[in-house]
Amino acid sequence: MKHAIRTENLVFAYKEKPVLDGVSLSIESGEMVGILGPNGSGKTTLLKIFSAVLSGRGEVKLNGRAIETYSKRELSRIFAVVAQENQIHFPYTAAEIVLMGRASFHSPLALEGKRDLEVARASMQFTDCLFLSDRYLHELSGGEKQRVIIARALAQEPQILLLDEPSAFLDLKHQVQILELMRQLNREQGLTIVAALHDLNLAALFFPRLVMLRDAKIYRDGTAKEVLTEKTIEEVYGIRVRVEPDPSGEKPQLFICPSA
Amino acid sequence: MSAMNHRRRIIIVYLFAVSLLALCCHKASAREASTSGPQRVVSLAPSVTETLFALGFGDRLVGVTSYCDYPPEAKQLPKIGGFMNPSLEVIVEKKPDLVIGVNTATDPTKVREMERLGLRVNLISVASLTDILTGIKSVARLMGNPKVGERLVVKIERQLNQVKKRVAPAPRRSALLVVGLRPLVAVGGKNFIDDLITLAGGENIAGNATQPWLNLPDEFVVAKAPQVIIEAGMGSERAAPAKHWGDLKSIPAVKEGRVYAYPSDKILRPGPRVGEGLEEIARFIHPECFAESRRGLKNGSECESSRP
Amino acid sequence: MEVSVKVLDRKKMLWVNGTLLGLLALSIVGSTLLGPVRLNLSEALENMFTANPDAEILFRARLPRVLLGVAIGGGMAACGVVLQALLRNPLACPQMLGVSGGASLGGILGLIFFPYWLLPIAGGLLGEISWVPFAAFLGALLSMIFIYRFSLFRGRLHPYHLLLSGVIFNSLVAAVIMFLNSILDFYQAQGLLFWLMGSLSTRTYLTVAFIWAYIVFGFLWLWTKGVSLNLITLGEEAATQLGVETGALQRQIFVASSLMIGAMVSVSGMIGFVGLMIPHVMRLIVGSDHRLLLPASFLAGGIFLCWADTVARILLAPAELPVGIITAFFGGPFFLFLLYREGRKLPI
Repeated sequence: MKHAIRTENLVFAYKEKPVLDGVSLSIESGEMVGILGPNGSGKTTLLKIFSAVLSGRGEVKLNGRAIETYSKRELSRIFAVVAQENQIHFPYTAAEIVLMGRASFHSPLALEGKRDLEVARASMQFTDCLFLSDRYLHELSGGEKQRVIIARALAQEPQILLLDEPSAFLDLKHQVQILELMRQLNREQGLTIVAALHDLNLAALFFPRLVMLRDAKIYRDGTAKEVLTEKTIEEVYGIRVRVEPDPSGEKPQLFICPSA
Repeated sequence: MSAMNHRRRIIIVYLFAVSLLALCCHKASAREASTSGPQRVVSLAPSVTETLFALGFGDRLVGVTSYCDYPPEAKQLPKIGGFMNPSLEVIVEKKPDLVIGVNTATDPTKVREMERLGLRVNLISVASLTDILTGIKSVARLMGNPKVGERLVVKIERQLNQVKKRVAPAPRRSALLVVGLRPLVAVGGKNFIDDLITLAGGENIAGNATQPWLNLPDEFVVAKAPQVIIEAGMGSERAAPAKHWGDLKSIPAVKEGRVYAYPSDKILRPGPRVGEGLEEIARFIHPECFAESRRGLKNGSECESSRP
Repeated sequence: MEVSVKVLDRKKMLWVNGTLLGLLALSIVGSTLLGPVRLNLSEALENMFTANPDAEILFRARLPRVLLGVAIGGGMAACGVVLQALLRNPLACPQMLGVSGGASLGGILGLIFFPYWLLPIAGGLLGEISWVPFAAFLGALLSMIFIYRFSLFRGRLHPYHLLLSGVIFNSLVAAVIMFLNSILDFYQAQGLLFWLMGSLSTRTYLTVAFIWAYIVFGFLWLWTKGVSLNLITLGEEAATQLGVETGALQRQIFVASSLMIGAMVSVSGMIGFVGLMIPHVMRLIVGSDHRLLLPASFLAGGIFLCWADTVARILLAPAELPVGIITAFFGGPFFLFLLYREGRKLPI
């Protein structure tokens, strides 16, 4: 089923100042989109509205149907979210965490069925964290934890994967690893991927489409080449950069020019 | 008149004058004895207040607790707070020569504070019947007139012995005295009420306990099978008592209808009215020994032949 | 590489719950046979329907309170489990929710002002029960409503507000108790103190049946929430994104546990420590999956309180200690010992 997210004139404010002011965005099924913007530009808020954790004024439609008409259970089978922070207060093993992704596939009191176990196992294999199954989540390193959370998201068998700064706490190797995983999922399984990113260079390398937010509105929407120009970066981030193509010649990469 | 008559008259006048003087002196010394000793006294417990009044020193009381309601004159006296937590300021303000409290109720830190403020504080013990009587004598001594203390104690002992004699022929009955039902709080050992129960011809089923008051589980009461149960000081109506015990019919007291309610707390004051308290308790435990004939004579045979 | 993973399966559920159920049965039997007083069992069983002391000790004095202890121990433990999930805090317990404070306050006021009001049941045929539990339950309801309104924000109950209102209520209750202590007479104050520390003393099967029905129903209802309880421990957003109607679940847990706690405190006073310790201990033994943790804690709580009450009856015989003292006294060190051994398994 082709799902599309469409928002029209989305407005959201935590207090008086709106964090999103008239955002109209359309994402088709199978796309891989990066959401960019400085801190406070509304990236996280946008993702939370997509997954119905928050609700703002204006329309949000999921495959033509208003998002409010979906139950949380239905939504959890469409969206899977990998949030920035994953604070766990109780001792759960990695396997238990991943299985929680299967919650909407069985009734609350029932135990996981064979299929649930299979899907969980496959997800953990895909993100290479199966060997961590019986370890407690809080014992794992940042990267290992992130892989487990992604496995949980995949166990939900979603159509759309939302990621909020998935590489925020990871070292370089793991940052690249995660994004390669995303690309693989997008190409092999047609998973729609929407990620909020702050690393512009990685965004340029992995995401065919970038949406730049500024002052609660969409500033630019297009390919990396179109969006990541020296002028745009200066206007949005307030720093000067030099933009050069990467070795393949297709993707732009930024070189920061700090003031002398 | 002859010289002998004149001498006789002088002797008579002399004797009269001497006896008059002696009388005055005696009265004076008596007054002296009663005007010496502390003039301003604060009482920290209802039993102490009662004791002071019974000894005749009621007029020297300048402060009593809010629970001091006997004798009725005590209610008019200025209040210094509760007996667990009296107000130090109010006590000091009364400028007492002596403060008398009870060692089980008054907080020792408060006592130390009062002494540091220059007050003279004495605590008497009321842990047993003997202690109460000793305490009365101590109070009298503190007030400067030991004789009135001894007289009062003699009077009380006479009351106690009278009751003891009355119930002597009857066989001992096991008894339980409670002051609370939910939870069940009963009189234990090392408690003056326990002594009263024994004197009244009873045997406190919780008398072996080391605590003066204790929370009893129901099974204990059933096992010890008291013949008399007295519910004291709870303000309950007489009709109420049986209902709490209604389903424990194996208890002799319940089976034979010997569960009594005593609303006032006269029985519970460790003061000069213990004699009266004893009689009340004895009337519950051995009612047959108090069945009075018209001449006020004890009907001895009924008391003796009462079933255990 | 074949990796075998430890997950919750039917075998574990049956094994753990079955063992606990067996231990519970043994505990009930053991506790009714033990006590400060010697019981002649054959006498009691043979002459069950006549007024004989052994039968009365067994069936009127001991059995009701043992059964009550099982229900309340289980109820407190179950409430502890769900409150720890709701508040996302392994150290939460029923006492923290101001509802227990409100119930205590209601009970205290009832105990002081109307201690002798008795409600006849079925027109007096089945005896009477004191008005105090109803006063306590009323206190629980009122405080529950108040805390609910105070903590509700955009359809969600905020753990912070729940905790805060709990602290406020408990401080208020403590203040009122101090105040009452200074105006009550000695005997009323003693009674007050005993009630506050908790007691399972009861002889009314009707009360026991009522509490059993209430608590078992509450427990079963909470148990059906199953996996959702796991999910809300991950945080409100994560739980929502995994399919849980978080706001509704929070409200349901709050109301269910408040009603259960209110009922329990009404009947037996606040027996602390069970709701804190048992869930934590069981978590160390069976893991954090609430589908197993909840029933395991329920049964373990019943076992624990059953024995705690037996000790309370025997330790200083003939005096009866408040059972709350026993739960704290024996529960605390045991818990520390378990923590010490399993220290590495706990989150930082």
